[in-house]
Amino acid sequence: MSVSDLPKKEVNVLKGHEGAVLAARFNKDGNYCLSCGKDRTIRLWNPHRGIHIKTYKSHGREVRDVHVTLDNSKLCSGGGDRQIFYWDVASGRVIRKFRGHDGGVNAVKFNEYASVVVSAGYDQSLRAWDCRSQSTEPIQIIDSFTDSVMSVCLTKTEIIGGSVDGTVRTFDIRMGRELSDDLGQPVNCISMSNDGNCILASCLDSTIRLLDRSSAELLQEYKGHTCKSYKLDCCLTNTDAHVIGGSEDGSIFFWDLVDASVVSSIRAHSSVVTSVSYHPKDNCMVSSSVDGTIKVWKT
Amino acid sequence: MDSDEEDFVFYGTPIAREDDVNTSRKKKSVAEASGQLRTLAPWKQEVRDEEGRRRFHGAFSGGFSAGYYNTVGSKEGWTPQTFVSSRKNRAEVKQQDILNFLDEDERAELEGQSLGTSSQFDTFGFTAADHARKHAEKEHQKRPSAIPGPVPDELVLPATDSIGVKLLLKMGWRRGRSIKDSHTDVAYDARREARKAFLAFSTNDAKTQLADSEPIHDKSENFTEQPASDDVQSSQNTPVYVLNPKQDLHGLGFDPFKHAPEFREKKRSRVSDNRGPGNKSALLMNNSLFGFKSGKAAPGFGIGALEDFDAEDEDVYASGYDFEETYAEDIDEPTKLIMDSKQKSVQKEAGALSGFRLASNSDYQLERFDPPVVPKDFVPHHKFLGPPETSYKLGDPGPPEVPPPQDNNLKLLIDGVATLVARCGKLFEDLSREKNQSNPLFSFLVGGNGHEYYTRKLWEEQQKRGDQTKLQLDGKLSPRTQKMTAESRGKILGERPLERSSKDLSTSIPSTDAIHLQYNLSDTFTDPSSYSEMPVVAKPFIHDTAKQERFEQFLKDKYQGGLRSTDSGRASHMSEAARALERLDFEAAAEAIKKGKWSKEISTSLTGGMEFTSGGFVQAKDTQAQDAIPKEVHVKRTEYQWRPSPILCKRFDLIDPYMGKPAPAPRSKSKIETLIFTSDSVKATKEEETIIVKRDSYQMPQPEAQGISKDAADNESGGEVEVENVERPVDLYKAIFSDDSDDEEDTSIPNEVGNPEKKAEAANTTLNRLIAGDFLESLGKELGLEVPPELSSSTNKAMNSAPPKETASANSRIYSTYSVEDSSTLNVPHGREIVQDRSSEKREPVNGNLIGNSARSNSTYAETASLGNQVDKNISEKGPLQDRKFKTPSRRHRSSSSSSEDERSRKRSRRRRHRHSDSDSDSSSDHQDRYHSRSKGKKKGSSREKSSSSRSHSKHHKRRSRDSPSRYDYSPEKERTETKRDKHKRRD
Repeated sequence: MSVSDLPKKEVNVLKGHEGAVLAARFNKDGNYCLSCGKDRTIRLWNPHRGIHIKTYKSHGREVRDVHVTLDNSKLCSGGGDRQIFYWDVASGRVIRKFRGHDGGVNAVKFNEYASVVVSAGYDQSLRAWDCRSQSTEPIQIIDSFTDSVMSVCLTKTEIIGGSVDGTVRTFDIRMGRELSDDLGQPVNCISMSNDGNCILASCLDSTIRLLDRSSAELLQEYKGHTCKSYKLDCCLTNTDAHVIGGSEDGSIFFWDLVDASVVSSIRAHSSVVTSVSYHPKDNCMVSSSVDGTIKVWKT
Repeated sequence: MDSDEEDFVFYGTPIAREDDVNTSRKKKSVAEASGQLRTLAPWKQEVRDEEGRRRFHGAFSGGFSAGYYNTVGSKEGWTPQTFVSSRKNRAEVKQQDILNFLDEDERAELEGQSLGTSSQFDTFGFTAADHARKHAEKEHQKRPSAIPGPVPDELVLPATDSIGVKLLLKMGWRRGRSIKDSHTDVAYDARREARKAFLAFSTNDAKTQLADSEPIHDKSENFTEQPASDDVQSSQNTPVYVLNPKQDLHGLGFDPFKHAPEFREKKRSRVSDNRGPGNKSALLMNNSLFGFKSGKAAPGFGIGALEDFDAEDEDVYASGYDFEETYAEDIDEPTKLIMDSKQKSVQKEAGALSGFRLASNSDYQLERFDPPVVPKDFVPHHKFLGPPETSYKLGDPGPPEVPPPQDNNLKLLIDGVATLVARCGKLFEDLSREKNQSNPLFSFLVGGNGHEYYTRKLWEEQQKRGDQTKLQLDGKLSPRTQKMTAESRGKILGERPLERSSKDLSTSIPSTDAIHLQYNLSDTFTDPSSYSEMPVVAKPFIHDTAKQERFEQFLKDKYQGGLRSTDSGRASHMSEAARALERLDFEAAAEAIKKGKWSKEISTSLTGGMEFTSGGFVQAKDTQAQDAIPKEVHVKRTEYQWRPSPILCKRFDLIDPYMGKPAPAPRSKSKIETLIFTSDSVKATKEEETIIVKRDSYQMPQPEAQGISKDAADNESGGEVEVENVERPVDLYKAIFSDDSDDEEDTSIPNEVGNPEKKAEAANTTLNRLIAGDFLESLGKELGLEVPPELSSSTNKAMNSAPPKETASANSRIYSTYSVEDSSTLNVPHGREIVQDRSSEKREPVNGNLIGNSARSNSTYAETASLGNQVDKNISEKGPLQDRKFKTPSRRHRSSSSSSEDERSRKRSRRRRHRHSDSDSDSSSDHQDRYHSRSKGKKKGSSREKSSSSRSHSKHHKRRSRDSPSRYDYSPEKERTETKRDKHKRRD
């Protein structure tokens, strides 16, 4: 993918959130996107047409993360009210609430079969919740982190969590082992490369680091943006050619994956860019910001 | 009969027969009772007795009766309200109020829906009175008075007059006056003349006032023949009560100021002082000469002393207001006069003190000064008396170009100061030099680091300014005050300043100083104007040049004083709102620049978000500090065991890696136990395949079944001795996996053991010695260790009946191997002895009764643990078992949990037996076997089937291989992982 293919043209602005938008995520096929924010709502959008489809309200405090199942039928979300909500997408009703985190929930993810929600919490734990049974107790509590867990990624067999204690821990369910990769810097957000071999970890020293998962080797560092006090998302393009990250000054940076040069940076928002999400197939990107807008970018 | 009837002609309707009527009525009443008629509207329903008849009182007593004998709705009375309250429909607490008991018409009346006279046609004032009453009620609720309860009707009077009163007033009637035409015109005219005369004598203003008031008087006279208002006459009339709310706490009717009305005024004024500004003058009035007549007096300027207190006069100035309202009215009076002649009114007001007269002339004159004459040669520019900062002419080549200092902050500072100096003159430089004498950052002012650059910069700035305002340049001033410094002299002479190493300071200036400097700058010069020429990166609106321009202008306006043009043209195209918005924007930006660092970070802090503690000096420091730190990040990977829950595996559609393996140890109650015992049931598998094979070769010659069979035999024959030794590990296991399922086996043993205590002890110890000796010997051999002979502890020696030699050797070996091997194996037998020796009394009952019991096992465990400390100091070092850092291999071993130690040591000893089976006595091997099988059984937790023992054997061996690294050559790497795993497990 050449530089010119990077989505740098703003095609839509999704307005509706009152207050900061904390996360914006594409769904699996990239036709829709979900956002959540400080106004305690989750919103479903069609980013390509720029229309707001639905609002999900139930959270008592800010919603920090949201994830949708592969079949688009269920949502899970977590936020400052320490609960994980399991939603029905169509009806907009809460199917289940999972309580148990002793602090705010920083990130939530479904597993592949949408049977388990894994949540990362401020209480230094990762928790897995069963969506199939009626039980609202966590089926697994991973509390080997020593600080707030900011982000979680799931593969078919692994749970990966990034924490402020500077570690990225991979919990291999199949092997029954935990791999702890200590980066030394608070990890803000982790994101998997599309080939699943690398992990992109956004650290609070304004650096995004690329880790090899199998060898724990630090492959590359991406600098230039500002990330010191916010949870800023980073992601890779769907071709894994570029690294995208938001900055606290409202711009979005594009780095070349291999040589870590800033390929481009766009002045995207008037305030902190909290989240970026790349379309799974097309050259399209959504970004959300503290200024309350979500922007859709295309080439 | 029939034929008769045919013959008759009937007129009218026949009277129904009695019984027919009865039946029909009855039917009706029955129907009524069954509720058929209930559907009728209430006014259509009729009351009937049980016979179905309507009761008729007679036309004059109400016609038919209604209700139950004209009283209530039914015989039972009014239907009481039913109270229903269910879980879903909670009965509300009903607050009964007056509406519940009122009829509809009453309600309408209450709600003011009833027909009434409007205030316009309210002849008798009923409506007004009504309103007043309601109003009073409302007010009463708002501020409770001293008297509780509702206001009595008599006290509430309408605020507005009825139309009749109004008419009367218009016709000349005054309050408190009877409608009686009693005065004579003569008297009235005389009085008027007198007043006119008086007014003529009084001051000018009075004249004008008279002129003002005259027509009014006339008018009123035309209206009505006003009665002469003597005091006598007015007293005939009913007094008008002014109703003041009772605000004091005196008794009703008590007047504290009865004999001293002056104080009442004072008091009132004091109270009303708080109410409004107009009251001051009211006080003045009342204190004045005329004000004192009575409480009811209408005060006014125009009324002279000779005047009677007349209603007419009242009308002129205070037209029928309540007394209290006149206070406010008074203010208007003088203003009237003011309009006529200002100065006099002022005097009048000033002299309105009672008992004082106004002075006719005042010696106070307002002095006026002419403005000073501006000399013709005055130049409206200030000339600084400072030395000329540029002695050289504009055409002067100036100081040579000097590369800016490395320190960016210093450069910026110099730039800023140079600009300022260029703008403000040399004086500024002197001033700042003086102020910052001690500050190393300002050394460039006195010729320190960066001075050349400063001079150059200054010159440049001045050139610039000179171009702009050639004539305004006020630098050249008399050189008399100039202190000739070496630099300036050199400058004049065109000397090249001496080269200084510009690096000496610039690098050493810490960043904090730079910040400090910024502070100093802002302190000294309000704000450095260098902001206006910020570096490009600091321009927050770089993408919008027009805006940036405006922003710079804004900064200039903000930070530079002086006159400026009202630049309306610049942003005239913008709306007011947009401009205001922009201004806010600029303010924020300027603030951010002021606070933030000078470099590019500014733009980020401009847009600082909600949780963003933007910029500031802290941040500046931070970044610099962070820059200093080398950012070498090495990813350290560590591997731990982690046990996913089975359901998680199921949900992820994976096979549980720990399937079939025992669950992690349940939480035991004792804290120590949780610290010491951790389950090591979980093992890594792949590492030691080869070793397993090796181990199996050892294992094989030891047949399982044999061990079991011998086990039983042991118990019969010489069993007592070993039993205790054997039991302990079992007990330990129990402590770990407290499963009471295999109690029977255990309990069977102690029964046999119990009684011959002493004997058992002796035998036991010897046996232990033997076993331990053998084991250690072999161990030493294997390790190739030279075991230094060491004396065993005196207790052992003294107590033992065993051959001392062996004991000694055994002991020595034990001690020597502590450093390498886990101590617990050795400890257990030894410790056991000591326990028995020292606290045999204590032991006895325990031994006798319940070895297999879990409580027992706990106690034994505790004893062994404590004994471990007793036996050797080395072992006591083992105390901080939980120490996570392992310094030396031996230490590491010791620090691993004692449970595993026990287990391992047990295994070790077993293996040793297998090897040296020839040297071992039968019983010992038997014991070993039995012990082994049992322990395995325990380990499995619930199952005691011997068939599964082979598996557990292999497990043990795997375990062993890891536990004794020195014996088998396998990589320390694995060993480390092993310990790490242990550690991790413990953490879990």
